[in-house]
Amino acid sequence: MSNDIQNKVEELVNYIMKKCLWQFHSRTWDRKRQNDNILGMTAQLIYGGDVKPATPEEKCYWADAVCLADAFRNRFGWLADMDRADKEALMTGLKERIDFLTVTGSLNLELTDVHY
Amino acid sequence: MPYHLFKCSQCIPEREKHAVIKGVGEDISMALPLGYLNTIPGTISERGCAYCGAKHVIGTPMKDVIHLSHGPVGCTYDTWQTKRYISDNNNFQLKYTFASDMKEKHIVFGAEQLLKKNILDAFAAFPDIKRMTIYQTCASALIGDDINALADEIMEENPDVDIFVCNSPGFGGPSQSGGHHKINIAWINQKVGTVNPSIDADYVINYVGEYNIQGDQEVMMDYFKRMGIYVLATFTGNGSYDDLRAMHKAHLNVLECARSAEYICNELRVRYGIPRMDIDGFGFEPLSASLRKVGLFFGIEERALTIIEEENARWQPELDWYKARLMHKKVCLWPGGSKLWHWANAIHEEMGVDVVSVYTKFGHQGDMEKGISRCEEGALAVDDPNELEGLEAMETLQPDIIFTGKRPGEVAKKIRVPYLNAHAYHNGPWKGFEGWVRFARDMYNGIYSPIHQLSLLDISQDEIPTDKGFVTNRMLSDADLSDEVRNDPNLRPYTGNYDCVSPLRNKVYPEFPRKEKEVSVA
Ligand code: SF4
Repeated sequence: MSNDIQNKVEELVNYIMKKCLWQFHSRTWDRKRQNDNILGMTAQLIYGGDVKPATPEEKCYWADAVCLADAFRNRFGWLADMDRADKEALMTGLKERIDFLTVTGSLNLELTDVHY
Repeated sequence: MPYHLFKCSQCIPEREKHAVIKGVGEDISMALPLGYLNTIPGTISERGCAYCGAKHVIGTPMKDVIHLSHGPVGCTYDTWQTKRYISDNNNFQLKYTFASDMKEKHIVFGAEQLLKKNILDAFAAFPDIKRMTIYQTCASALIGDDINALADEIMEENPDVDIFVCNSPGFGGPSQSGGHHKINIAWINQKVGTVNPSIDADYVINYVGEYNIQGDQEVMMDYFKRMGIYVLATFTGNGSYDDLRAMHKAHLNVLECARSAEYICNELRVRYGIPRMDIDGFGFEPLSASLRKVGLFFGIEERALTIIEEENARWQPELDWYKARLMHKKVCLWPGGSKLWHWANAIHEEMGVDVVSVYTKFGHQGDMEKGISRCEEGALAVDDPNELEGLEAMETLQPDIIFTGKRPGEVAKKIRVPYLNAHAYHNGPWKGFEGWVRFARDMYNGIYSPIHQLSLLDISQDEIPTDKGFVTNRMLSDADLSDEVRNDPNLRPYTGNYDCVSPLRNKVYPEFPRKEKEVSVA
């Protein structure tokens, strides 16, 4: 990943960590599910695709994804100038970084508790 | 991110792993305070007990219920009378608190008969109230009274009453957080699914982790009603016992305080397939995003956007008036468990203050992850602090104001640091758009209080100026402002009413057309 994309990833990470709550559910499997679904849908929206949530669970992820994609577009003007390949690199980098901060690199000792 | 050992805690080296300073470019993967552990012997914690967490945070805000503690009278009395969980039924749950009044002889001979008499007496004294919650305390847990069996017996003898038993004695966890957990699980196990009302509404939510502190819940209900959303149950502020038994019938759980109530949302998701949506009712931007998200979920985003536009237009000029006067004031954000992350970023961005420290008395590491992520570099984050650490932090950081509970707040006042009550508020509600302006106003009044300025003089040693008259808070706050800001015609201080909650109780709401393909959840 280029330095430029990496810096942009950090800007998006900073936004999520300051403004969102969905990435901090209390167990590893919960966090993975949240990250996969919400960031997956957000990426589709950023690429210009359409997401059609069918179940209540999907609608819940989608509502967060729509707000996140809009916030990214409104705050980070450079997003509009990126081509598809760069956007993909950006969103992949974002997913990796959020997964690291909230799951694989998290120091939270409660994440692996088998009960809620 | 280096761990931080307070000088006053050098004799308790284990404390080092409970505090960090967020350094430049550092993140939560580098260091995270320990949390939700038993308090280290020798450090005088500011925590509450697991009974208190179950009863006084979560159980007792329910409004149409006799809440009875099975234990010595002190357990129930000592903290309940400081709470401000109001309700729209004349505050029944605040005005009356019940205890079985166990004494030493009951420890020896048992207290089940005493409890039975108390239960029947309480129902007889309040014949209109047919619902009761009973809380185990250390004393009744240690002697092994079987409260559940007794409750079953009474329900059998009196079919019109319903009783919920919470076995969460004071020692049942490291802090009040253990009690939050226990009562969440006990409620879903014992009560959810035991009534099945027929609900005639398109959009049905449970509003969870909301305790109606000075009217917060009623403010948020106003927004939901304006969107045409039916709030089936609130867990638990201003909530009804029987509504909470029907939580399984909602379409969505809207979760505010995840620290105290995520457990029931998680269980409702697993057992009944109801999704959990975390929201922030504090701060214009987070609240706007939250209302929009709920609107998106139900396909009624436009209704949310209308409210957001109206409320921003009404209240932004007032919030900005305070922001201009609170800019770069240093605050310590020292609440119980969740407000560190609800507020850390929103007060910085929307009120201009700098959060120099966050702490949590009973939060878990997840709360620290959120709190540290949301505050700026340089902030000191502390888990389960003690009084000496609080004093040392205030001496080092020199905050202009702190937000905390009554006990540490009074300590702060002694060293001339003003405080706002983060648990019960000063002049709340603080949730909602108007509420957020009221919070800014309380902050402003705390920092610029002329009385506070006077308190900085020590009449036993300082020279008391006799050539200066009394000053107002406006003279203090505006002294260093530019003329442009001071006289900005677009800004104004708070213009709302002293009581902004009661009028909501009689408000008439618009009727929305029903969805074409009607989905009844009955
Ligand atoms: S710790 Fe035990 S005795 Fe003390 S208030 Fe809590 S329940 Fe009562």
